[in-house]
Amino acid sequence: MLIRIKGGRVVDPTAGRDAVGDVDIENGRVVAASERTPDRTIDASGCVVMAGGVEVHSHIAGGNVVLSRLLLPDLYVSEAAPEGHPFAHAGGSAAWIGANYARMGYTTAVEPAMPPSNALATQLELADIPLLDRGALAVMGNDDHLLSLLREGEGRNAVRDLVALNVATSRGLGVKCINAGGASAFKDGMLRLSLDDEIPVYGLSTRRIMGALLDAVEEIGVPHPLHVHCNNLGLPGADESFVATLDAAEGRRIHFAHAQFYAYGVADPENPATGGFRSAAERIIRAMETNPNATFDVGQVVFGQTVTISLDILRQFAGRKGAKPKKWILNAGDAEGGGVVPFLYRPKGPTSSLQWAIGLELMLLSGDPERTILTTDHPNGGPFTEYPRIIHWLMDKEERDREIATLPKIVGERSSLPGLEREYTLSEIAKLTRSGPAKLLGLDDRGHLRPGARADVAVYRDSKDRTAMFSRARLVLKDGQTIVEDGEVVDWRAGHSLSLSVESDKAMARRSDAYLKDRFGAGLDSFAVPDEAFPMGDVFEDVACRA
Amino acid sequence: MAAWVKGQEVGLDAAVSAAAALLSSARAPIVAGLNAELSAVRAAFRLAAETGASVDTLGSEGTYAELGALSRGGAMTTTPAETIGRADTVLAVGAAARSAPLIDALRASRPSRGVAAGAERTLLTLDTAGDPAVAVATLRAYAKGHLAGEHPSADIARALFAARFGVILYDPAELGEFGIEMLQALGRDLNESTRVFTLSLGSGSQDRAVVPLSAWTTGQAPRVGFGRGLPEHDPWRFDAARLAASGEADAALWLASLPCERPGWLGRLRTVALLGEGAAAPDVAEIVIAVAVPGEGVGGTLWDEGRAAIAYRPAAGTSALPAAAGVIEAIRRGLASKEAA
Ligand SMILES: [Zn+2]
Repeated sequence: MLIRIKGGRVVDPTAGRDAVGDVDIENGRVVAASERTPDRTIDASGCVVMAGGVEVHSHIAGGNVVLSRLLLPDLYVSEAAPEGHPFAHAGGSAAWIGANYARMGYTTAVEPAMPPSNALATQLELADIPLLDRGALAVMGNDDHLLSLLREGEGRNAVRDLVALNVATSRGLGVKCINAGGASAFKDGMLRLSLDDEIPVYGLSTRRIMGALLDAVEEIGVPHPLHVHCNNLGLPGADESFVATLDAAEGRRIHFAHAQFYAYGVADPENPATGGFRSAAERIIRAMETNPNATFDVGQVVFGQTVTISLDILRQFAGRKGAKPKKWILNAGDAEGGGVVPFLYRPKGPTSSLQWAIGLELMLLSGDPERTILTTDHPNGGPFTEYPRIIHWLMDKEERDREIATLPKIVGERSSLPGLEREYTLSEIAKLTRSGPAKLLGLDDRGHLRPGARADVAVYRDSKDRTAMFSRARLVLKDGQTIVEDGEVVDWRAGHSLSLSVESDKAMARRSDAYLKDRFGAGLDSFAVPDEAFPMGDVFEDVACRA
Repeated sequence: MAAWVKGQEVGLDAAVSAAAALLSSARAPIVAGLNAELSAVRAAFRLAAETGASVDTLGSEGTYAELGALSRGGAMTTTPAETIGRADTVLAVGAAARSAPLIDALRASRPSRGVAAGAERTLLTLDTAGDPAVAVATLRAYAKGHLAGEHPSADIARALFAARFGVILYDPAELGEFGIEMLQALGRDLNESTRVFTLSLGSGSQDRAVVPLSAWTTGQAPRVGFGRGLPEHDPWRFDAARLAASGEADAALWLASLPCERPGWLGRLRTVALLGEGAAAPDVAEIVIAVAVPGEGVGGTLWDEGRAAIAYRPAAGTSALPAAAGVIEAIRRGLASKEAA
């Protein structure tokens, strides 16, 4: 069946396209324009047509996400179920997540923090997110097995084989390290860690662990570069950690998670710890310009109540007393652990206002929106449902000024945001939310509308009110099937979980099996994510390694 | 094949139809037990949503004490493997913790990872005879310096502060909600100067797998009710035993593909019971359907107490009986077709 989306303003920066035209779809793919008469025509006049949105960093599944629901049962509001899905209006549920992304025109989302020790639960939860393709990054960098191997100086091949085995066993899409060595150091009594600090017992540093993972990811050919959560998140002077980590990558591909939380320069050099912070957005952007190997996602802050969810237990422990409401969960888990700390970004508060400004600054200063991807690090900076409003601020200087006018003066004193005139174009928004994240994940079948692309398409009614426009897509297609009409889900189909097909070394599998049996009383089988565990069937879709 | 309606053996299809009819006609059904593989629990939540049922799980006493304390004050936790691998000091609170199998493993080993590796392990016990919350509160008072002088709790407090990686082991059912809250407060106090985490013992049933599934499915922990068309969390209102005893519930689905004790109301309330091979008998409930036991006759995702995680357990053998998830799905489809007719 040939479907033609006709007469919309088609925005696809990867093809240099931003003009009124058609998009033809057949068998779930975009096809080249032809003279054939379509079987179905979708009138898109007055609309903007883009590829489906792609999310690279959003905490949508896993043990800590589950704990956040138990800690804060009332964070999201539940409403009566809509037709067709019993749980889609259950606030914060997997179905609610899928529905809310789809309504905004997003069709792919990646959970960035899957501990291999809890992979099956994370993957089962992801598989219950309807409508979207989804994936998860396997977290490494604190596990005793890896650290012991590095301590013994076993060399690159052993590290590569262990990383490959973990990705294969957990069925991840990529690899992430979170304050590498930090959880291990925390359990051994440390409360702060920088790039070259010695990690107790192992004699290693974050630099060495991360360097080994950077190499392993390249050697395996993981399409997504190593996804890095640096040391010292959120502290004044965190910009130093960001830049030092970027230098430590030494030209290797690297992705930085939620850069906004590191764009904090020391405000008062005399009192670095207590003098607060000022924006280091310009410094971060300059560093990015000289390092084309690097990408980041923003981690934009929005005002209001949220909950922070992170495997960075060192950081969550340090931040626990800022919890609002005053309760938190910290889990010294197997390898990573992590923490769930409720947080209120106080509307008009000086700190949260500055954080809000810095995120926007990072995007507005960026010369390459494909490498500075829009996220809120959901829910850490705020919920992903705020994307339309953030897009509005990026595209509309007046809208931004209206918001700035309500905020304290510190926004102008410690960031350059009020002076920035730039307004994002639709094409740049497409880079920030489509082509950039798809390229970053190495998924060349999405994020664009060229022939051969997966027919994940979002159609928005063009409007000066960008918040309204991007909140409720007029139409969303997933694999060529209509899933959303006028901002409401009309077909509760399931997408796939994207997992990297990677060979694992048999000798390393035997060795890991023995290690795990000794430590957990259960071998590699116990950590597996077998198809048989998924009652819904047809869950996984393979993604190939880089040649 | 083994299925019975009112004591008479029937085919599976007939039992499923009867179950669908029974649940469709109910005004306020309950779905309980959930002592089963996760695929069956998942199906049971869907069935509950469609019938407006309330959902409760076995093992709930400890689970709800834990969840209540968690949502009020949070927690600092660790895992069995980290306890064995890292803890140089372990405090067992109460009788159940003192006799837990984990204690034997801890006694037989030394920490092997982290700064305490190779050190002698100190094992302590807190006697909670009487009110456990009071015993924990007393310990906390010594830890905070509000009480002073010679007392076993004073020694325990000193030992915990001296720990490099301390773990406090407890049974949530024994300690109760206030005891757990007090214990977590003690954990927070200790972490002002050292690293001490808590570890709670499981109930032996599947509630620890049910809780996360409930959370991602409904956004809420159990007990959950669907009577008003949206999931509502309320441990008191949706207590299956209470609903059965008060007569508020008029029908039930009891799911237990794993062996466990059966509640007294099975024979009194109009119930569809899905029971594992060996536990199924004609007169246990109005409708009884025997199902394969996960890990034995069929593969299934189950809570692994030693790993403190869910894991897939393949079938050790074969079974002629159906898997529970498929039976529940068939009952659910029966509801739908009934509505359409
Ligand atoms: Zn994150």
